[in-house]
Amino acid sequence: MQPRILIITGTGLDDLGDCDWNGHKGLTSELIREACQQLCDDLRVDMDFRQADDQEKMIRWIAKDSEKFDGLIISPAGYSRASTEAPGVCQSALQDVAKLELPVIEVHVNNIYRNSDRTAQPLREPEGEMGFICGFGMHSYLMAIKAIVKRISSNS
Amino acid sequence: MTNNVFVLNGPNLNLLGLRETDIYGTDTLADLSSRCRASGEKHGLSVDFRQSNHEGELVEWIHEARDVAQGIVINAAGYTHTSVAIHDALRAYDGYKIELHISNPRLRESFRHVSYVASAVDSIVAGLGTDGYELVLETLAQILPETAVP
Repeated sequence: MQPRILIITGTGLDDLGDCDWNGHKGLTSELIREACQQLCDDLRVDMDFRQADDQEKMIRWIAKDSEKFDGLIISPAGYSRASTEAPGVCQSALQDVAKLELPVIEVHVNNIYRNSDRTAQPLREPEGEMGFICGFGMHSYLMAIKAIVKRISSNS
Repeated sequence: MTNNVFVLNGPNLNLLGLRETDIYGTDTLADLSSRCRASGEKHGLSVDFRQSNHEGELVEWIHEARDVAQGIVINAAGYTHTSVAIHDALRAYDGYKIELHISNPRLRESFRHVSYVASAVDSIVAGLGTDGYELVLETLAQILPETAVP
């Protein structure tokens, strides 16, 4: 059976339509989904790509559904820009995920530490490992998929 | 024309594989250097892999990159959390810049939560172990032709 990766992305990706990253103006969730699907097909993994309309949904997916997968990629996207509460709430959901020893990677399309994007907050996961990739536009997601696939295959 | 990339490693990374292997893994710096060069060859990049325990030397290597390299991958290690000098040197560099860490510093001691490098780079990768180096080089090889000035 093929490995399965859960990708959860928040809304607000369309806010980044004016993100000044070469070739990635007008980046949308749909474009990212397509690119991720293509890569997952090439790597022979199953992908479940979900966009959360609200924080509750995102947290519910993280807390309840992660255990059905072999890896998790989270892009808080708009949430990390719009709300400083979201990271804290996500954090407790992620603590449960840490106990599953699932590879988890947080991704952002833009560099959230660049001065112009200062409002964005990274998630914090006090236990367990978590990878972090930001500022590569769409490639942030693709790199995360590759990293998780590599991790899964070296674990097995 | 082959794109040149500097992969710069900061203090104590010469002890890779010899210290805190639960955090940093068992590859030595020499292993990592070989892997990076091989990855560069595979993806059509010329990789210049260096390590220094001296902040000023790292600053001067970033200056050197201005003339010869299209990208810098920098794991500034401990200097990440202290060095305005490295921050400023990176700001003066126009090519593609990536901050890289083997562990995820934000999940460790609070003194590692600040990065002076982060606001001076284009992209950041952390917590993927030493595999992060090859992943970054593979991605750089895809990105650089898109951004290179002809």
